[in-house]
Amino acid sequence: MLRPYVPLLVLLALSVVNAIFMVVLSTVLSPGGATKVKSAPYESGMTPLGNPRERFSVKFYVVAILFIVFDVETIFLLPWAVSARRLGWAGFAAAGIFIFILTVGLIYEWKKGALEWD
Amino acid sequence: MSFFAALGRPEVLDLARQTHYFWALLPEIVLTLGAMLVLIVDVIHKGDRSEPSRGSIPVLTLAVLAATALANTALFGLRDVSANGMVAVDGFRTFTNFVYLVAAALCIAISMGYLERRGIMKGEFHALVLFATLGMMLMGGSRDLIMTFIGLEVMSVPIYVLVGFDRMDPRSSEASLKYFLLGAFSSGFFLYGIALVFGAVGSTNLTYIAETLGTGTDHGHERLLMAGMALTLVGLGFKVAAIPFHMWTPDAYDGAPTPVTALMSTGVKAAAFAAFVRIFAVAFADAGAQWVPVVWWLAAVTMVGANLVALTQGSVKRMLAYSSIAHAGYLLVALLSGGDTGKAAFLFYILAYTVMTAGAFGIVIANSRDGEERVTLEDYAGLGLEKPWLGAAFSIFLLSLAGFPLTAGFLGKLYILRAAVEGGQAQLAVILVLASLVSYFYYLRVIVVMYMRPARSEGWHAGAGLPLAARTAVLAACVVVVAMFFAGAVPMRWAEQSALSLWRQPAPVAASPAPASLFR
Amino acid sequence: MDFLKHLYEGPGILTFLIAFPLLGALAAWLVGDRSARATALVVGIVELLVSVPLFFTFDPTGTCPQSVIGRQNEGLPFAFSQLTVPFQNCTDAPWFADWGIHFRIGLDGISLFMVLLTTLLLPLMVLGSWTYIRDRQRTFYAMLLALTAGVVGVFVALDMFVFYVFWELVLIPMYFLIGVWGGKERVYAAVKFFLYTAAGSLLMLVAILYVYFRVHSVTGMSSFSYFDFMNPLAAFSAREEALLFLAFALAFAVKVPIFPFHTWLPHAHVQAPTAGSVILAGVLLKMGTYGFIRFAVPFFPDAAHAPGAVKWAMVLGVIGIIYAAMVAAVQPNAKKLVAYTSVAHLGFVILGIFAYNLIGLQGALMVMIGHGLSTPMLFFLLGMLYERRHSYEIEDFGGLAASIPVFATMLVFAAMASIGLPGTSGFVSEFLVLLGTFKTHPYVALLASTGVIFAAYYMLPMVQKVAFNALRSPANRDIPDLDRRELAILLPLVVLILWIGIYPKPFLDRMEPAALRLLATQSTRLAPPMQPMGDVAAAAPNP
Repeated sequence: MLRPYVPLLVLLALSVVNAIFMVVLSTVLSPGGATKVKSAPYESGMTPLGNPRERFSVKFYVVAILFIVFDVETIFLLPWAVSARRLGWAGFAAAGIFIFILTVGLIYEWKKGALEWD
Repeated sequence: MSFFAALGRPEVLDLARQTHYFWALLPEIVLTLGAMLVLIVDVIHKGDRSEPSRGSIPVLTLAVLAATALANTALFGLRDVSANGMVAVDGFRTFTNFVYLVAAALCIAISMGYLERRGIMKGEFHALVLFATLGMMLMGGSRDLIMTFIGLEVMSVPIYVLVGFDRMDPRSSEASLKYFLLGAFSSGFFLYGIALVFGAVGSTNLTYIAETLGTGTDHGHERLLMAGMALTLVGLGFKVAAIPFHMWTPDAYDGAPTPVTALMSTGVKAAAFAAFVRIFAVAFADAGAQWVPVVWWLAAVTMVGANLVALTQGSVKRMLAYSSIAHAGYLLVALLSGGDTGKAAFLFYILAYTVMTAGAFGIVIANSRDGEERVTLEDYAGLGLEKPWLGAAFSIFLLSLAGFPLTAGFLGKLYILRAAVEGGQAQLAVILVLASLVSYFYYLRVIVVMYMRPARSEGWHAGAGLPLAARTAVLAACVVVVAMFFAGAVPMRWAEQSALSLWRQPAPVAASPAPASLFR
Repeated sequence: MDFLKHLYEGPGILTFLIAFPLLGALAAWLVGDRSARATALVVGIVELLVSVPLFFTFDPTGTCPQSVIGRQNEGLPFAFSQLTVPFQNCTDAPWFADWGIHFRIGLDGISLFMVLLTTLLLPLMVLGSWTYIRDRQRTFYAMLLALTAGVVGVFVALDMFVFYVFWELVLIPMYFLIGVWGGKERVYAAVKFFLYTAAGSLLMLVAILYVYFRVHSVTGMSSFSYFDFMNPLAAFSAREEALLFLAFALAFAVKVPIFPFHTWLPHAHVQAPTAGSVILAGVLLKMGTYGFIRFAVPFFPDAAHAPGAVKWAMVLGVIGIIYAAMVAAVQPNAKKLVAYTSVAHLGFVILGIFAYNLIGLQGALMVMIGHGLSTPMLFFLLGMLYERRHSYEIEDFGGLAASIPVFATMLVFAAMASIGLPGTSGFVSEFLVLLGTFKTHPYVALLASTGVIFAAYYMLPMVQKVAFNALRSPANRDIPDLDRRELAILLPLVVLILWIGIYPKPFLDRMEPAALRLLATQSTRLAPPMQPMGDVAAAAPNP
């Protein structure tokens, strides 16, 4: 019964083994121990500036949420686009309603000033 | 409603046809559009983002609610052919929809003036109330567990925001966080319960579940079903605030802006209870042996515990919070009573309860001032003498909550008692009466303070009052509370017909309830 | 005259007596503080004038139709049929028809006097509060009128739901009367009053619902009708009946109040304003004894006639008489003293009821009427004294006969009526009770008769200390005697007390048939108690 799943099991085992193998190998092969410079946070080769626990502007989050909204939109619309012909006008109407609601949200955000940085 | 028939509404809906969903969901559609309209109008109207919203926004919101109520009348007498759709088309939904709309309208009405005083007059408030109402309608009107869950979330997320709407007030934020964490937790329980029920029965459709359990065939997943029911029960228990799942209630109710508290204790509770009835009293009706004893204890503990704790409260707002927990206990009795009488009693009581509780919170708002909430008992001293109308209205609401004759609360309790005795839950009826006796004490104490103690200082109550619209709403609530006693036969008949329509297959409305079902 | 006769035979008159004070309450509240008392007085006088002819038009053998569950023949389903019942001026209007709740009211020889007593006291109370109440007058008079409406409703209700509603309706205005316009400890007194009575009435509600459901389960029909509650088909086991009787009896016992449940009464009386004390003593306490006569005993005759129940009632009644008398004797506060005399007098009523014979029951009813005249008179007098001297303490007075002789005369008269001097209503009524009790329980009657002596023992010293003795305090010297308004309050009471004391026959005649019928229910439920109440006629099935 479970026979078809055997390749999957093999793949799973291989990936686990591979992961462990890589970690162990890098530990064994890497030269030297930890120095002060090495354990410092890496910021593109520059000297670290200020406290890493700095508070971000709330605008980052607003933009992130905006992104997620449109991300989700994509996720919904792609499957619909693929089977648009089969879903017919009902599907088209559903997608239309969906986009309409998102548009209202977008207008709201726009008017609220979420798209302006200052 | 020949009006809607003229517009092309079919007499019987077939939810296999997607266009029929338009009629089935007409009130929800109207409400959604209206809520979006409120949201957009508010931001477009405002020149400067920081300025408060215009006074026309609450009026627009009330208009949207009225339009939704009108759309809701399109559901009168409507039936569907298969009862397998995602949304229920029955009188129960029509009735409960009206309850949510009344709750939302009262919430908006009593928020007038209050929001300005607290400096939180923002259009989002009104839009969120509308979206929460939409969630209530979806949750209470669904015939599918997935839809119930979506409704639950659509209702809860706006409420989380609304509770913390006064973000400058730490108590409001605290209440919001607490409610959010526990609410999310309970949603998780609920969702997991749905999954297990699906695993046991093979469907999330309530009608299908009821039929499967009703045939009595061994589906071989007893334990899975029991676990699913238990988790669903926990999730709903949180939302209706039954002891021991009530811990969030006093803090959330106390910290939230008072109109939101009013909405939470009426509309949210009503929606959760409507779903409770649909899921437990209908879908799981034939698995009653498993859940009835548990809910029995929930009801008993809720009634006794909440009333006892309410005795010790020094804040009127907190007292009303515990009172609302206690009323959840009474409603659970109606739910347990089973039969059509039990459900009719539930409907009648939830309507009465909504009006009187929202009205009581309206008075709490009337007694608050700029930036401070006057909610301790001492703050009410002398109110009845210096503001006779406020005092009289509050007395009526409190007496109704206590279940005193001449008020809707009395008739509602009598209805529940009748249902309980007919349904063989006489012990719960006795507990209910004793719990009511305890409740007399704390409701009465407020009246004592209002009329028999002098005010804190001269002119203490000078600024108490409500703007005209809110005053009208509270007065209307007052009139309804009394009228529901004298002309109670009308809502009673309506509740009975609505309850009859609930039972599995949409049944034609019978003229009178059969007396043969006594003492089963 | 024909028109009047028609009016007083019809059903509208009782509804008017309930609705008119309610409307009057609204009117008094709306007209404002300045003319509230005048409005209330007009309402009270009209109410009295409208009700008085009932005394003359009342026909002791009158009947009227009421819809009651019945069936025409054995085997047929139950249906509402028109039953001729020995009440008059009946109304039977569906209210919550599905639940069997109708607005059923009617008048018989027992409720007649209670209604008349209430309507008589109403204008007197308004007059008595004329200068006594200065604050928030409109609310005060509105409450007083609403209270009157509720009391009238209690006495004429023939539907248990309607009865319960009126019973509770009485509670709220009384609660406010004590709590807002009362003395120093008014809040405590008001809350105690409310909680005692509310606890009792909730028990009664449970019992009412129990009987209601039993009738429903037997007949398949819902009815809250008084007559259906006596349905012989809804038989109870001995234990059930005992518990139900107990629930009813407790609710009524708190109201009467019978001995161990009386502790709310002195507080309520002392703290209440004059009008509150008057209506409390005058009619509210009678609601309890009326409840026994009208409901508790006829509904559960087996339990009520059980030797144990009778024994307890007799013992508590006698304890009430003697204990209250002894406590009254040592009261330094005149109002509290009078309050305790109420407990003693109502002990007599209990004896009369549980003697279960005609003389005893008539005596009990007469005590209810007589006490409803003499005790209000005492409270009015004390209120008048209080307005002059702001004190109820017996110690503060003395020699008032010299300074205000008319008042002193009235006080002596009221005290004599309360003691039960021959020639006053108190004598006739207590004599009848003792006679009735003696027939069945001679020893109890013997003990109770000492109560009459005790009454002299506590009342006379009070009168002596207040009205006679030396006029020591100068404050008692320069006070005005009774004015015309005050005499107008007292004289009707004096006349009635003397009338009943000298010629009680018109009263006894009117109550006799009703009393006999209620006594007839003492036979067990095996003999249908509905038989003497009338017979099923014109059995038209009613949907």
